[in-house]
Amino acid sequence: MARESASVALNERLSPYQKLYLLLIAGFILGPFIPLIIQSFAFKWAWPDLLPGTWWLEQREKSVLPLAWDYVISPYSQVWEATLNTVFIGCVVTLIALVICLPAARVLARENFRGKPAFEFFLSMPLIVPEAAIGIALLMIFINIGLAGTYIGIIIVHLIPTIPYMIRMLTAVYQGLGRDFEEQAMILGASRWQILRMVTLPMLLPGVVAGALFTFLVSTNIFLLTFFMGQGKIVTLPTLLFSKISGGTLDASAAGITLVVTMPGIILLLITERFIKEEAFGKGFGN
Amino acid sequence: MSKTKELARHKRERTWMWIQLMPVMLVLTVLFGGALVLGVAQSLGFAPWFGVNTFPDFSYFAALWGDSFFWKSLGLTLYYAVAATLISLVLGILLALALVRTFPSKAFYKYLYKLPLMIPYTVGIALAVIMLGNGGMLSRLMAFTGFIDDPNQFPQILKTHMGWGIIAVYVWKQTPFVALTIYAVLLGVGRETEEAAAILGANKRQIFFQVTLPQILPGIISSTLIIFAFNIGAFEAPFILGGGFPDTLPVVAWRYFNDADYTLQLQGMATVVSIALVAGVILYSYLAFYRRYERRIGRS
Repeated sequence: MARESASVALNERLSPYQKLYLLLIAGFILGPFIPLIIQSFAFKWAWPDLLPGTWWLEQREKSVLPLAWDYVISPYSQVWEATLNTVFIGCVVTLIALVICLPAARVLARENFRGKPAFEFFLSMPLIVPEAAIGIALLMIFINIGLAGTYIGIIIVHLIPTIPYMIRMLTAVYQGLGRDFEEQAMILGASRWQILRMVTLPMLLPGVVAGALFTFLVSTNIFLLTFFMGQGKIVTLPTLLFSKISGGTLDASAAGITLVVTMPGIILLLITERFIKEEAFGKGFGN
Repeated sequence: MSKTKELARHKRERTWMWIQLMPVMLVLTVLFGGALVLGVAQSLGFAPWFGVNTFPDFSYFAALWGDSFFWKSLGLTLYYAVAATLISLVLGILLALALVRTFPSKAFYKYLYKLPLMIPYTVGIALAVIMLGNGGMLSRLMAFTGFIDDPNQFPQILKTHMGWGIIAVYVWKQTPFVALTIYAVLLGVGRETEEAAAILGANKRQIFFQVTLPQILPGIISSTLIIFAFNIGAFEAPFILGGGFPDTLPVVAWRYFNDADYTLQLQGMATVVSIALVAGVILYSYLAFYRRYERRIGRS
């Protein structure tokens, strides 16, 4: 009896409830994208039809592309501009975060010093102070020194929420690295430069790439800080979408833009899954 | 002699260490500390660039806190944040517990559930509009099954103070986050302790509440801290999907800032400082409570 219950408790397989639950969650996450895609290809979709009354295909003589997509790829929609801005800001933010976080992560992973826990807590502060508070307070300063509505202003504020993630992921990388391999190389007669080039860097690289991808991702998803600091002068994908749906309705072109805004996330998901192990993710978020 | 040399070397190493820590510290201190000091100063009447300088002046806080709408806004802000955090927590734990099991198509599922993590909140809001709006998919489905025959008969989900739309967006985005954090903790812990408990005759319920739950508690605490803080300061979802006046506090602050009467900006700053204060007090007591619990069960 006891053995039977033990084997039930330790079952490696899913119970029927769990199977159902996983399906429901998948539906909850992906389901809403179906009407979104349909909407972007519809010509006319009146309530209460479950599918569009007129598809774009039937009206092809009127426009070569689906109407929504025709608008999305035209310069009027600002999609290209927003995409370029998002990528540019994300790259610069990632680069700066990498440069200032690498040395700090090395110290945090290898040294012990007084006040280390306090320092680590300080580094994770941006995650637990509400963004609206930082955003509005900094906006006042930036307006006064002329940084509001500039790329520099946006890049600076993007550093706030990205630094904590970068630090945690890089610290995890250094901790995983250990000193053994470097010491072995030293014993075998390698010079400092050789050790750095042939041992440390290659071992560090996958983790650094993972941290960089993750930081880039966080930066591309920031809405509030960009919206406040951009002052409407600089659009990124999240703020562009916000301006399209802020009225609380979603037309075909807004559906198209929503899909475009989703794309970078999907691409990064496919890439990061190869670079970031679950454990590293846990170290990035945990504690 | 060698001792002083040792000491000098030690000192050099320490200096080098702090030099490496300096850039990050500098950036965060300037941005964070600057925002904090100036924010508090402004909310107390220091704004020489508007020709206002009555520091220290508590009238902005008095005006804000004396108005009943502020407390309604605060209540709404907390309600959305707490409800969304609790629902995401429960759904996320269940999801993580299912993910550690083996099942076919697990590799694919691990891509799928992370999707909301990768995309902005505004996408979630767009999805909420197309699903839950009065002319949205759910409304169409109800019409299809014959429950309603006019969009106006569809129960109002968006733009009400019940905030189901806002909560739905938060849950959609944050359940994967909680699941990911806890899944990583579960992977790190391994299953040995659960196996031991099972062999000693514990049932499923006992194993979950007495073995698994205490082990994943740090993951629960850190993920709820982060999403709760985010929810309190979130702007876009309440702005688009909220029920209008009274708004949540971040939206209130934003409206003050865009008011034609620029002296209201100081009132806005008082609102911002209030948000930070409320969040700080709640998160601090939450952490303190957790520390006490940890000490009581003899961890750390």
